[in-house]
Amino acid sequence: MQQDARTRKRNAAEARFKAYGIAAITIGMLMLLILVFNIISRGTGAFQQTFVTLEVELLAEKLDKKGERNPEDIKKVSTFGYTPLLRGAFEAKVAEQGIETELSPKEMAGILSAGAAAQLRNFVLSDPSVIGTTVEFEFLASSRVDGYLKDRVSRDSIANDKNVSVGQLDFVDRLIEAGTVEKRFNLDFITGADSSDARPEAAGMGVSMIGSFFMMLAVLALALPIGVAASIYLEEFAPRNWLTDIIEVNISNLAAVPSIVFGILGLAVFINYMHLPTSAPLVGGLVLTLMTLPTIIISTRAALKAVPPSIRDAALGVGASKMQSVFHHVLPLAAPGILTGTIIGLAQALGETAPLLLIGMVGFIASNPPDSIASGLLDPNSAMPAQIYEWAKRADPAFYERAWGGIIILLLFLITMNTIAVILRRRFERRW
Amino acid sequence: MNDMRIVERNVDTDSIKIAARGVQVFYGDNHAIKDVDVDIQDKTVTAFIGPSGCGKSTFLRCLNRMNDTIDVARIEGDIRIDGEDIYDKKVDPVQLRAKVGMVFQKPNPFPKSIYDNVAYGPRIHGLAKNKAELDQIVERALRRAAIWNEVKDRLAAPGTGLSGGQQQRLCIARAVATEPEVLLMDEPCSALDPIATAQVEELIDELRQNYSVVIVTHSMQQAARVSQKTAFFHLGNLVEYGETGNIFTNPEDPRTESYITGRIG
Repeated sequence: MQQDARTRKRNAAEARFKAYGIAAITIGMLMLLILVFNIISRGTGAFQQTFVTLEVELLAEKLDKKGERNPEDIKKVSTFGYTPLLRGAFEAKVAEQGIETELSPKEMAGILSAGAAAQLRNFVLSDPSVIGTTVEFEFLASSRVDGYLKDRVSRDSIANDKNVSVGQLDFVDRLIEAGTVEKRFNLDFITGADSSDARPEAAGMGVSMIGSFFMMLAVLALALPIGVAASIYLEEFAPRNWLTDIIEVNISNLAAVPSIVFGILGLAVFINYMHLPTSAPLVGGLVLTLMTLPTIIISTRAALKAVPPSIRDAALGVGASKMQSVFHHVLPLAAPGILTGTIIGLAQALGETAPLLLIGMVGFIASNPPDSIASGLLDPNSAMPAQIYEWAKRADPAFYERAWGGIIILLLFLITMNTIAVILRRRFERRW
Repeated sequence: MNDMRIVERNVDTDSIKIAARGVQVFYGDNHAIKDVDVDIQDKTVTAFIGPSGCGKSTFLRCLNRMNDTIDVARIEGDIRIDGEDIYDKKVDPVQLRAKVGMVFQKPNPFPKSIYDNVAYGPRIHGLAKNKAELDQIVERALRRAAIWNEVKDRLAAPGTGLSGGQQQRLCIARAVATEPEVLLMDEPCSALDPIATAQVEELIDELRQNYSVVIVTHSMQQAARVSQKTAFFHLGNLVEYGETGNIFTNPEDPRTESYITGRIG
C-alpha cells in the first residue's frame, strides 16, 4: 500500500492546512502576549506611589491665633496658612539628618504633592485638639518626584520643566537615603477618587468603580428580567409569523448597532426628553441596558433552544400547562446558559466607553463616593472605562501611567466575570 | 415472522372509550390524516401499525391534543372520549392530558429525582393533600409500572441515571400517576433492547386491566404480542381496523396483507 501521487498530494494539503492553523494561533497568541506585556509593564507603576514621611509641628500661633479652639476660627485658616508648617517640617528634617542642601524651604516643600497642605488642614479640622502637637504624616510626593523614583523622570528630561529642578532631585536622593522618601504600594489608586490636572499623584479609580458598579446594577436589574421575559415569550409562546420574524431580525440587528448610536439615543431620550440627571450612572445603566439586551436575548434563546423538546413533551404529556412546562422544566435547564450570557453581556457593558461620552460620564471628576443607593444611581459619576479615557487624554505622563493602571483593574474585572461565566457553565451544564 | 403467536384475545368489554369520526389533520399544506373513523375500546390494547409517515403517530397525538403545540397543525373532525368532544372550545387541553396520559418514543424522564419525576403530575394537579398521600401515589404508580422493586431504595437518585428500559418504565409510572383513563404510547420500545422491550410489553398487558391503552408500533410482532385490536394506517388512511388475530391472519385489504407479509413498508 504505497502512497500514490494523489494520496501524497492530499496528505500534503492536510499538513499545509494544519500549518496555517498553527501559524494563525501563534500570531494571535503573540499579539495577546505583546498586549498583556505592554499593559503590565506600563500599568503596574500606577499601583505604587512615592510617599514622604514628615513630622509636622502643628503650631498653635499659625492655626488658631485666638487660642480658643473655636472650629469657626480654625476653618478660617486656608491651606496657605498650612504651607509654612510643611516648610518648617522640612527644615527640621534637614537639621535632624544633617543633610546639606542649597534649596530654600519653599523649594524643599515643592517635592510634595500640591494636595499636602489640604491633607494637613483636613486632619486638623477633623480633630482640632491636635493643634500644638507634633504629628507624623505621610504625604504624597509630587508626580515629578514620583516619576523620578519610577525612572519616568530623569535629570535630562526636566531641563525645561518648571515643576521640578535638579537640585530638588538631589535633595530627594538624600531623603531616600534617610528613609524619608520611599515608594510603596498605593491603595488609594484602587479606592480613591479622580483628582484635578495638577495632582496626578492623588488620582484613583475607586469612585469610578462605584459608578461602574451602580451602572451594572441598573443594567442587571433591567436587562435580565426584560431579556429573559422577551426570550421566553419569543421562543416558547410566540407564533411563528412575519411579525415575529421581523422582531427576530431586528434583535440581531440591534446587537450590531454601534454603541455610539445608543449613546446619542440615551442623550436624546433619557436626558433631553425625560430630563434624567446628566452624568448619572442610572442613565448610563439605561443606555447600556439597550446595548446588553440583544446579547442577553440571543444567548437566552440559544439556551432555551438547547433544552431538548422531549422535556417539553414530557411536561405537557402529564398535563402541565405551557407556562408550567417552561418555568418548572425548561427554564431551570436553560439557567446556566442564561446566566453565562448575562455575565458576558454585563462584561461587555462594563467595558463600553463610547455611549458614556455622550451622556456626560467622561470629563466629570467625582470626588466623593456616593452615600446611598439613590445617590449612587443619580449623582454624577464616571465609570471605569470613561475614567481611563479621561486619564489617557490628559497631557501629564503621570496620568498616562494611571490610565494603564486603570486598564489593569478593568481587565481584572472582566477576566473575573468571564471566569465566573465559564465556571458556572461547567458546573451546571447538563448533558443528555 | 415466526414469532406471530396470537395470544387469546378476550376483549373484556365492549364499551367504547374513544370515538373518532371524520378526523382530518393538516400540517400546513400536507394532508397527514385523511378522514379517519375509529372506535377504541376501554380496557383494551389497541395497536396502530403502518409504514413510516403513514400518520399513526399524528393520529395518536390528536387523542390528547399534543398536536396543538405545533403551530401549523390543523385538525378537523370529531374525537370523543366518553362521549365528550375533546376539541370542544370548553375543553382545556391541560385537563385532557391529565386524563389521557402519554409515553413517548424516547424515554424522557425529567432531570430530577425518580420521586419528583412521578410526583410532578400529582403535584401540579393537586391530587395529594399531604406528603404521605403523595408518597402513596408515587409508590402505587411505580408499582403499576413494575419498577418499584428496582428503585424503592433510591427514590432520590436522578431519573436520568436509570437504564433505558427503567427510564421508560419510569415514564410510564409518571404517566399513570395522574390517574389517566387512557394511556397513549408512541413507539415506547423503539429505543429499548429486547429484554427491556419484553418487560415493557408485559407491563402493557397488565396496564390493560385499568386503562384503555393505545400503542403505536413499528414492530408487527409487538402489535401481535400485546394488542387485542389493531389498526393499519397507510398514507394517512385508516386501511383496516379489527381484532388483532383477524388482521394478522386474515386481512381483508390487499394493502394490509402486503404490509404484514413485508412487501410494503
